[in-house]
Amino acid sequence: MGNILIIVFTLCEKEISILNEGLVVFVRAIIGYFSLLIFARIIGKEQISQMTFFDYILGITIGSIASELTTDLSSRAWPHWIGLATWASLGYLMEKISIKWRYAAKFLEGEPAIVIMDGKIMEDVLRKVKYSVSDILVLLRNKDVFNLNEVAYAIIETNGALSVLKKPEHLPLTPKDMNIKVETTGISTEMIYDGIVIKENLKQLNKNEQWLHSELKKHGIKDPAEVFLLTLDPGGNLYIDKYEDHMKKVTDIGDYKGPY
Amino acid sequence: MRKFFVISLPIGALIFFVLIMISGNYLKMPMGKNDNIPEIIEVLIHNLDEEKWEEANRNTEVLSKAWSNIIERVQFSSERDEINAFSMNVARLRGGIAAKDKANSLSELYEAYEHWKELGN
Repeated sequence: MGNILIIVFTLCEKEISILNEGLVVFVRAIIGYFSLLIFARIIGKEQISQMTFFDYILGITIGSIASELTTDLSSRAWPHWIGLATWASLGYLMEKISIKWRYAAKFLEGEPAIVIMDGKIMEDVLRKVKYSVSDILVLLRNKDVFNLNEVAYAIIETNGALSVLKKPEHLPLTPKDMNIKVETTGISTEMIYDGIVIKENLKQLNKNEQWLHSELKKHGIKDPAEVFLLTLDPGGNLYIDKYEDHMKKVTDIGDYKGPY
Repeated sequence: MRKFFVISLPIGALIFFVLIMISGNYLKMPMGKNDNIPEIIEVLIHNLDEEKWEEANRNTEVLSKAWSNIIERVQFSSERDEINAFSMNVARLRGGIAAKDKANSLSELYEAYEHWKELGN
């Protein structure tokens, strides 16, 4: 009888060892990872900071289904994948609806709520959006507003962030107020990146390599390969960073001994 | 080329994934020699009905081998619960045959058949 048991156990072990759990999880992880990647690209969500509360839940749920798809070997991958696809397509559908139909968007995504109007706190609105006054004070401080007297309007956006419009007397002074003419600024373009001249960008700004070399010479650089980054803004100002920084004293902001 | 990467590649990948995931139901079907699980189970039931224990013992080995082949094919698309349950049925069937216990052996066989039917479904 004992012999029979031993035979049975060895045979069972042999059978089970054919099933390679690690390999199955590996294949299912690849399926889950790339499915999720494709679905996320299709949904095309905004940045995380712009997500509404529901977008956040959507993300968590889809992520959790994908993790089950990968590691829950007790059930097939297919039903999990169907769940993933359904959640992703519903997310996509709702987004399409809220873009096309403003009436639905108001219901699906909520709408901004004015919590301070003309310097007065709107208690009813606060109750409706379920924010306490101290929540509002925290959000105001995050916006560098420490005195409620400075606030003309404060709006709770659908993503939960607070937008603040200060009273005109508390707004910062601008060159326009002082009638000062300023040069137009724009986005600078990379001319050299990692020692390599980006010819397309030179051409785009009607410059050539002779011009670049003469500019480099002015800064005592012989070869573009010495430059880590060189950008040019529309005002004609160059930013140059060389590989050699010649820093005599490097500031160390670490305040406690660590492993490095 | 850009269109290929943006549209065809993701769609192709998704179709490939779906095919892997739903393949279990087809891959469990007999494809070569000695991997026809329902047929082997039927033969075994016949053996047990006639109480031919030696033959039943031999056919259990055939069933076990066939099952090993099937597992390799369906492991990516099937639930482990069904796979493990079938393996346990085969183990208990061996015990039943060794003890010449017709009732238990038959019930293991019928249960194993149910697990095979549910595999990949």
